[in-house]
Amino acid sequence: MTERPVEPPAPERMPERMGARTTLQKLLSRFHFGITLFAVALSGLTILLAGVTALLGSADRNLELAAQLGAYGAEPALVFNDPHAAREGIAPLTRIPGIARLRVLDDRGKPLTEWASPTKDPIPLLTGIFFPKPASVPVRRNGSVIGTIEVWGDSSTLTDYVRIGLLAGLVCLLITALGTIFLARRFEYELVKPLNEIATVAHDVRLHRRFDKRVTPLGIAELDRLGGDINALLDELQGWQGTMESENAILAHRASHDTLTAMPNRAAFDEQLALRIQSAQSRNERFALLFIDADNFKAANDNFGHAAGDSVLVALSERIKETLRKGDFAARIGGDEFVVIIDPLGEDAGTDSLANRVRTGVALPIALPGGDSYSVSISVGVAVYPDDGADATALLTAADAAMYANKLANRS
Amino acid sequence: MLASLFLIGALFTAPQMSVQAASQATVEDSADGRARAFNRMLGGIISYARWPGERKNTARTMCVVGTPQMTNRIAPAGPIVTVHRMTALGVTDDGGCDIIFLGRMPIADRQRLIGWVRSRPVLTVTDDDAACTHGAMFCLDGRRTSLSFSVNLDSIGRGPLRIDPRVLKIGGGE
Repeated sequence: MTERPVEPPAPERMPERMGARTTLQKLLSRFHFGITLFAVALSGLTILLAGVTALLGSADRNLELAAQLGAYGAEPALVFNDPHAAREGIAPLTRIPGIARLRVLDDRGKPLTEWASPTKDPIPLLTGIFFPKPASVPVRRNGSVIGTIEVWGDSSTLTDYVRIGLLAGLVCLLITALGTIFLARRFEYELVKPLNEIATVAHDVRLHRRFDKRVTPLGIAELDRLGGDINALLDELQGWQGTMESENAILAHRASHDTLTAMPNRAAFDEQLALRIQSAQSRNERFALLFIDADNFKAANDNFGHAAGDSVLVALSERIKETLRKGDFAARIGGDEFVVIIDPLGEDAGTDSLANRVRTGVALPIALPGGDSYSVSISVGVAVYPDDGADATALLTAADAAMYANKLANRS
Repeated sequence: MLASLFLIGALFTAPQMSVQAASQATVEDSADGRARAFNRMLGGIISYARWPGERKNTARTMCVVGTPQMTNRIAPAGPIVTVHRMTALGVTDDGGCDIIFLGRMPIADRQRLIGWVRSRPVLTVTDDDAACTHGAMFCLDGRRTSLSFSVNLDSIGRGPLRIDPRVLKIGGGE
């Protein structure tokens, strides 16, 4: 149906994605630097503009003041029409920085004296823009204007300020870079570390099946929410795993146990026998295998019903269990056939005493559900490892044979 | 020895400190122009003088004694000044002069007038003393192509008149 190729693009995209990967720290660092640079540039520009405006205002006032000072100094010179005195009158002004040119005009607008700064204007363009007109102050004497003082500014004060401003900007940039590194480090500590913690937990759970691991509270609302969700997920996973394990255990128990008597079944017995043989062989020990068969069980089944037969089997299994010592093992391997492994086998215990011990253990009459009682008798065959058989089959055959012999002896 | 050296030094330096010719106003080169420049300078000097207890724009009386050398039409430009021609004796007897213009006159008259002015609020101006050593406060000098004035700081210092220091500076020269 689908004709588009699905497979080929995948391997091509993979390295590209790997190359595009970046760490959160790098991302934050870049972001921080951008933001801080923007803020510094913006504030720097604002300060520069505000500074230039203020500076222009103060420079204008400075020129105005200089012109006033010149007007005071040059007033008698204008009264006496004395260029030399006028030059002396404006002499203090020539020492004020930022003044490019001075002129004293008499009442007819004729220049009485002029002065131009010997230092060159740094940026004539700026002067043209910011000081296009001179500060002009009329000189008054007894109410009438007797002359005018004109003062031209130059851009030197402005360039000084801009130079200092640029230097300060550079220093700010340096501080910005350092601050960005510091902030990124801090962010890594504050944000990347908790994220790593979550990642570690997730990794641990996936790789080692550690469903008991939980994300600890991290102190950041969003991350805590993520951590909480992960923890809830882990809770569920742990619950599922617990259920699965207990179900598995039940299934395993069912596979190895008889449902009626809850005793280990044939399969479990075979396994157990193999283990016991292996263990006894390696430690050079002996153990006994008892084969137990109920006599005339079929008659009990026929006379009292299957339910009665079942209860006989249960009672029998209980009594066999009661005879067991620690380390012994009993199983039901057929309808009315039981086996018991006596392990370890005491030095003094003979095979007959073992059989008798079981036989007396089950000898008491069993109360049946209908009110009757039934006396069960059993046949017991004993085989000893390694005397009667060195492997499971031989041992079982020997025990079976001994049981048959016992059964025959009982009947006769 | 040292004391005599000091005395000689004092003799040379004292007059230089007190009297200097300096101001040079540009002048139009005609009799009319010269008179206008003269009266302008005279008016300027008067306007920068302050009499004790003076109110603004008080009319001043100027007494001209002797023969003015630069112009006969003495009428200071600017401040309100009434000009009277008087003799030296008339000045000392009358006592109503705020300003005394000393033209050319006998030395005895001049000395009497200078002596009489001392410690009185009277401004003295002359145009017959280029070196400004005879005791007038302001000396106008028109011998050169330009008109100038100089100041006798000693005379100004003795009297109760106050002169604008900017004018003293101009009259004091370098």
